[in-house]
Amino acid sequence: MDLKLPPLGEGVDSGSVVGILVRAGDQIAKGQGIIELETGKAVAPVPSHTAGKVAKIMVSIGDKISVGQVILSLEESAAAPAKPAPSAPAARPERPVAAQPPSENEPKAGTWVDEEPAPDAPTPAASPTIRRLARELGIDLRRIHGSENGGRIVMDDVRAYIQRLQHLASQAQARTDALAVPSKPPPPRIDFAKWGAVTKRPMTSLRKAIAAQLSESWRAAPRVTQFDEADITALNELRKKHAEIFEKKGARLTLTSFALKIVADALRQHPVFNTSLDEVAGDVIYKEYIHIGLAVDTEQGLIVPVLRDVDKKDLLTLSTEMNEIATKTRDRKISLEELQGGTFTISNQGGIGGGHFTPIVNRPETAILGLGRGALKAVVRDGKIEPRLMLPMALSYDHRVIDGGAAVRFMLDLVKGFENFDEKQLI
Amino acid sequence: MDPIHTEIVVLGAGPGGYAAAFYAADLGKKVLLVEQEKKLGGVCLNCGCIPSKALLHASKMIFEARESAHRGITFGPPQIDLDKLRAWKNSIVDKLAGGVGFLAKKRGVQVLIGRGYFEGSQSLRVETAEGQQFVTYDKAIIAVGSKAALPKVFDLGNPRIMTSTEALEVEDIPEDLLVVGGGYIGMELGSVYANLGSKVVVVEALAGILSGADADLVRPVLQYAQKNFRELRFNTKVMQMSTKAKKIRVVTEGPDKVEKEELFDRVLVSVGRVPRFHDLGLENTKVEQDERGFIKINDKQETADPALLAIGDIAGGVLLAHKASKEARVAVETIVGEPSTSAGVIIPAVVFTDPELAWCGVTEAEARAKGMEIEVAKFPWGASGRALTFDRPDGLTKLIIDVATERVVGVGLVGHGAGELIAEGVLAIEMGATVRDLAESVHPHPTLSETIMEAAEVYYGVSTHTFSPKRREE
Repeated sequence: MDLKLPPLGEGVDSGSVVGILVRAGDQIAKGQGIIELETGKAVAPVPSHTAGKVAKIMVSIGDKISVGQVILSLEESAAAPAKPAPSAPAARPERPVAAQPPSENEPKAGTWVDEEPAPDAPTPAASPTIRRLARELGIDLRRIHGSENGGRIVMDDVRAYIQRLQHLASQAQARTDALAVPSKPPPPRIDFAKWGAVTKRPMTSLRKAIAAQLSESWRAAPRVTQFDEADITALNELRKKHAEIFEKKGARLTLTSFALKIVADALRQHPVFNTSLDEVAGDVIYKEYIHIGLAVDTEQGLIVPVLRDVDKKDLLTLSTEMNEIATKTRDRKISLEELQGGTFTISNQGGIGGGHFTPIVNRPETAILGLGRGALKAVVRDGKIEPRLMLPMALSYDHRVIDGGAAVRFMLDLVKGFENFDEKQLI
Repeated sequence: MDPIHTEIVVLGAGPGGYAAAFYAADLGKKVLLVEQEKKLGGVCLNCGCIPSKALLHASKMIFEARESAHRGITFGPPQIDLDKLRAWKNSIVDKLAGGVGFLAKKRGVQVLIGRGYFEGSQSLRVETAEGQQFVTYDKAIIAVGSKAALPKVFDLGNPRIMTSTEALEVEDIPEDLLVVGGGYIGMELGSVYANLGSKVVVVEALAGILSGADADLVRPVLQYAQKNFRELRFNTKVMQMSTKAKKIRVVTEGPDKVEKEELFDRVLVSVGRVPRFHDLGLENTKVEQDERGFIKINDKQETADPALLAIGDIAGGVLLAHKASKEARVAVETIVGEPSTSAGVIIPAVVFTDPELAWCGVTEAEARAKGMEIEVAKFPWGASGRALTFDRPDGLTKLIIDVATERVVGVGLVGHGAGELIAEGVLAIEMGATVRDLAESVHPHPTLSETIMEAAEVYYGVSTHTFSPKRREE
């Protein structure tokens, strides 16, 4: 009878032999490890599915073997069921048998229960040192079966339990990765030079970072973009009126200054736009702080520095800080910390031009506001056509967290904010 | 005096308070220790554990000398110099209290002698000999302890009616002493006076002495007391007490409902202890108290007031010094943000009667009342060579064992030196040891510690020095 490599689980169909755990002539028990196999995920022993006496080993260390390949043959005469070898003790019958990775022998230490322990379940035996460690690590000792007398949990049990948690976590990660990146081969490289002259410029590390960040956002966040326009005729007058005073104080009063204030107000009203999604834990994280990222166009590419506590600052402070941070960014003097911790992003292209566009959410944030250039448009007001200065607005959001209705309401409040900006906030 | 600010204030310098202050200082905190008495150390050191044990040791010699007659060694009658005995006892107390002060100084713990009063959650007014000192702080640990209860009916203002505090001063050796209350304080101090020559009568309202301990462990203590005391009366209440010349007239009512009138030279009232919660200003904080006045805490020693923690007797539970010291550690660790807990901690109890009584974990009675599936393994000291060599076979070691896991969940001991032996029981339970772990750990011969190993062997029916017919399959 031959022992073949059993199916190893999702996505794995082969591996390399890194250890042989039995020899010809050995009596092996059902469940006993026969070889150690390295797969893309782990090194794990392969258990025998039956008992018997090893006749011949058909693989050697270093061999790459596939599912179904013969590992060893058992002597035909060994029909009598062998006594379980001492290395594979039977699980204690009075306890629920621990759930374990399929390709592992029962280890001496660290078996576990996956079901939620009852709240009144008694604490198992463990020394004060182990109990303190468990408190520090946030481990419920009732999930671990101790390996010592009376089920006493010792350090080895805790260690094995943690290793298993890590193993499970990495498996889950591997599964997500497998889903995310279809294992398609990369597209064939094209020789563009055959149609005319070309110049090759390597991507800068910033360019690569932008590419990676935006691809990740594109892949992970199902995005919807909501368009609207705000009448900023009055706001523009207000800006002109106060621009000089701001100038004297060394600050530039721009549309972005107003946008920061208006967005911060709206975020307080609509906290779901000030969140991040923790995909692993399945939590939506609501942030009590409002730190707004500003997309800055630099020679090297897009950089998004972050203004802190926007809701707590007045327009003058915001305008000053905004100028400082934009200059620092263009001079590449911005620190890494100043690029982190944003809760929402504003991308104002109005300085350059442009109408509506579809910004990509700046993960891990869940929404971004894109502003175009305000342009005079024929608008119907009170039954009459009037020229009004209209600001194109585009709100992109992560539809996993935010719904369309919420986006419209948020947008309406933004429009209201631009159209009815209170002059008192300027003084 | 200028107000001072500190990180942690500890109110009360008993075995809970000074342990908390020292530990916090060791962890780098700025600590102020406030104590109303001039001497540090609290009840334990000044008028509790330490002086009572000194007197028990000294007076036991008298009994031992008498007992050694049948072993062929006789002494003349003892000469007792009470002043010298008291001075010796006080010298121990002074030495230890001085040691606490020295250790505080070494650690940079500021000590303030005076009465503390909470003006608010984070401000304390201390009435010192020099005047008022105001203190603000981040966190305070309340460790003000407890005091002996003296019910109104006994409080005649007569110094011959004593609590444990006065009894420990041994002003004289009363001819006739009444001890009201057969708890551990009454039994210990009753023994001191009985050894010194008093005729001691114990009255107890309950059906036996030392309630809380298992009956089989109490029995040797009771038998010894019946020999050493004049009388022990149970289910008996004190109805009336009054001064009659130099004596105290006491009316008691026994189980037969018949009143009895007697005269005693002194009365020791040992009917329990009450928390010292009065005049602390607790009403100015958010602290909550139970109906008896003990401060309510959680398993991290936190009170309902976020700035205040409470440890030791004032926090209720068993009123023992080592419980206070453990809670001190938990409180400080909670303050520094460590995940500490006092839940599930094994607190041993020791009664320093003759013979000593000690237990930890669950008692047999508790386990049975809770319906736990237990077995009890006992080893009588009559089978211990060591116990026979000092002529005290009146001892018993017993293990309470959880049947499903064979874990030791309780240990009870009665006999000479039980207080020292119980520590092994605590370790066994805390470590989650099984009865086999105890049986397989070699204990030295000839010692009393062997009785723990042999009790474990009794569980398997293979104890060397006793015979029990049942034999357990592994």
